[in-house]
Amino acid sequence: MLLITEGTYPYAVGGVSSWCHAVLTGLSETDWDVLPILAGRKHQRPTVKPPPNTRLLPSIDLWSEGHAPRRLHARRTTDHGLLPAQLLRGLMPWEGDLAGLTAALVRCRRNPESIRPEFRGRESWERFVAELEQLLMDSHRDSAPAPIYDAIEAARLYQALYWVARTAAVPTPPCDVLHVTAAGWSGIPAIIHKALYGTPILLTEHGVYVREAYLASVREAAARPGHGHISPRLALGMTRAVYAAADVIAPVTEANAEWERGLGVDPAKIRVIPNGIDPPKEYTAPPNIKKVIGMGRLDPLKDVQTMLLVADEVTRRLPDARFDCYGPPTLGQEMYADACSVMHRQLGLGDRFRFMGGTRDPYGAIRSGDLVLMTSISEAMPMTLLEAMGQARPIVATSVGGVPSVIRGCGLVAPPGDIHELATAVVTLLSNPALAARLGRRGYERVHRKYTLARCLGAYDELIRELAGTVAA
Amino acid sequence: MSSSDVHTSELGNLSPAETSPASDDLYAEAVLDARLGREARDVLEATVVLEAWTGRPAKRAMGHARRLVSLDGPTPRAMSDLDPFDDSSQHSVVAEGVALVLLILSVAAWASPISKQLGPDVLSNAIRVALPIAVALQWGLRSRYLSRPEGLECLARDGVPVLLWCLLLFDLPLLLFHGWGPVAAMLVPVWVGGTVITMRGWGLLYAAILVVGTVAMERAVDPYIVLGSLAGITLLICLAAVGSVSARTDLRAGSLQRAVLAGLIGGLIGILLVADPSLGWGVHGLHPAVALLPSAIGSFWGGYYLWNFYDAVPRGLRGVPLRGASRIALSDPAMSIFVGGIARLLGATIVLSGIVIGIGHWTHGTDAASVFVAFGLVGLLCLLVGLLEAFSLYRAALIATGAGLATELAWRSAMHPTVPGGALAAGAAVAVMISLPVLLIRLARSGGVLATTLWIQ
Repeated sequence: MLLITEGTYPYAVGGVSSWCHAVLTGLSETDWDVLPILAGRKHQRPTVKPPPNTRLLPSIDLWSEGHAPRRLHARRTTDHGLLPAQLLRGLMPWEGDLAGLTAALVRCRRNPESIRPEFRGRESWERFVAELEQLLMDSHRDSAPAPIYDAIEAARLYQALYWVARTAAVPTPPCDVLHVTAAGWSGIPAIIHKALYGTPILLTEHGVYVREAYLASVREAAARPGHGHISPRLALGMTRAVYAAADVIAPVTEANAEWERGLGVDPAKIRVIPNGIDPPKEYTAPPNIKKVIGMGRLDPLKDVQTMLLVADEVTRRLPDARFDCYGPPTLGQEMYADACSVMHRQLGLGDRFRFMGGTRDPYGAIRSGDLVLMTSISEAMPMTLLEAMGQARPIVATSVGGVPSVIRGCGLVAPPGDIHELATAVVTLLSNPALAARLGRRGYERVHRKYTLARCLGAYDELIRELAGTVAA
Repeated sequence: MSSSDVHTSELGNLSPAETSPASDDLYAEAVLDARLGREARDVLEATVVLEAWTGRPAKRAMGHARRLVSLDGPTPRAMSDLDPFDDSSQHSVVAEGVALVLLILSVAAWASPISKQLGPDVLSNAIRVALPIAVALQWGLRSRYLSRPEGLECLARDGVPVLLWCLLLFDLPLLLFHGWGPVAAMLVPVWVGGTVITMRGWGLLYAAILVVGTVAMERAVDPYIVLGSLAGITLLICLAAVGSVSARTDLRAGSLQRAVLAGLIGGLIGILLVADPSLGWGVHGLHPAVALLPSAIGSFWGGYYLWNFYDAVPRGLRGVPLRGASRIALSDPAMSIFVGGIARLLGATIVLSGIVIGIGHWTHGTDAASVFVAFGLVGLLCLLVGLLEAFSLYRAALIATGAGLATELAWRSAMHPTVPGGALAAGAAVAVMISLPVLLIRLARSGGVLATTLWIQ
């Protein structure tokens, strides 16, 4: 198996990394190669040691200064100068030319040393600009007229396409099944491998890639109004390409499947495989100390600022309530973490709300509180919720992605960003220990019944064998 | 039954109250407007906003989004926002300039005492060896560390191993050569360490050390002691300068391969400088070092102006429509900055050369105009080749400097050295003639420069 990750395993902490590690460790009879794709301006060290059945390949470092493959006299391909325009046609329109895109990506793999000279050539740039002008005039029923690009936006897009080509040029080792963990950059090597060798692709979508790219762009747009057409469109292009190439798409929740169907995926390709955890055998009762636990990275997607406002409102109503928020800042979101600290000061929360940083004992952290609060604006099937349910703690969460269906009967949900509703839910549970304990107990039983790791691994094992079997047959 | 319906039926009503479709659309439109500050660009953008900030399930959010996205609205402009240029590295420009001037003047001032005490050939040979090595190391360090916004932080992390490697490979072996070897081995750290110290913003401190060293030299203190002390103190300050920056372990330094290529280019320029025997480094007293001053200052000024490239080219292209992105125009930002840099270099070199020639009787006969022309051409070459290197056009840079060096050597063996600096001028002129067209062709199209050269490395 070749597992291709993007910004996660084994270099980052978080739900996807935990899932990858659990799958690699759990499916111990399978040999795994892991090909990580990273944003490469910084040195990154693995946060976890892959299990013995896993070989970690050198990472693909996007945007880094690493040299493109070169040859002193690179062979000039017959369609020299066309590559940027071909990639553009495949990735940027609302519905791109996927066959052309695959052919262009395969060409990058076969002629890696021609990528840099081709992208640095004047002819390529001029063809690209002409193609872009044409493409921006195209219309589609689901899209408003495209914005008018200026020269810098065009150059930025050109640079992004160069990195698509560089990613495509990286060779992949032989394997029976390609397992892609996000429908974005990590799909590019898989698309080429499949085109060359017919190897089936399994795509696991934890969060919906294109949704997260759009969310990031919306947040950026709020701060910089002219910004943000390239990255969501590029994500859409990659997502559509990966969806088309994948043999099976395994979202972790039905909520993701809704998106996938909405983006035109054949429903027959979709098989929901929920995440799972190894839950404790023993039930532990909440300590009844009016402590709320937040678990998750300090990241705009987790909407920690709403959590602070909820804490402010809850502690007004229940002055002895306490909040402990576990999780490090996401790499690159340090400014957001700083903004949260400022907000914490401005609200005067003091010791009533504590940023605890990352923890190596998430179960212990969860057990130290009476309930778990999650205020995310985007989630698929967060491991934190399963861990909270496994520790028999009730949950108050926002109704995003697969959250409502996972915690059904085990907690309370409220709309994202609705501070009053979320605070009311927290106060309700902190003031009614019996109700909280009952919901916690239901969560504990639900995890044992539906969301065990064994069940999750069993489903993957079966799927992988099936896909590998189709190749053998 | 949607999951939110299930939730409300089981756990009581903690979701928004049911509303009519019309008011639902109005609410959705208001949320979109509040979040985006404009109309949604497409269905997916509207869907994620409604899903994330109203809690609607994806299918329902997508349905609303299809009704709300305007397909025939005005075409917005995707005007690029640019981060403000980090000009922190330019704050120490005065100190850096002062340090450069004092370095050249000190080398000039050391010529006489060292020649007197150690013999005329010792300093001359030491400079001929130390200068190319120092320039090569300076170019290499600049490429890998010093020209980057966080280069000093990276150097703080790698500093000790880098220092040890540089000493072991390029400096300590010089001690094996009798006579000029130890002098060269002491000059290299003084010159290279000075670059690091001035980049740290401690240029005035470095200048002060050079002044003290020069005074000691003038008072006939043993040159080995003075140079040894200067080298040791420079290295210590260099380590302190780098050590006082908080090391960043997560940042990547520049590519080693590029640093080696940059070092090679720098080394060739260094050899070009010392390969002309008519200049007589150290033999003719102040002569070559002081003549170098005008072009060094001009090159420094022009080079600093070119630092604007990375900021001014994108800024100048902001709002330029796609049709204008590839046109040839001499007034485009890239070309304007290039011409501005050259003008500064030439202007400063010509004016300062005139001054130095004017006071020639005071500077021990430094009045041969050809020497100033030669050094002016070398300054121009440094600027052009530095730009080629910044654009990753290493092959062109190496060919230009290599051809220049070959011309200089050929001139040296074919022509009698009647014109002081003639060989250097010929070599530098050839190198300039090779590198200039390569740059002009690139720079005439700002959009192309940005897309294909600055951003595709």
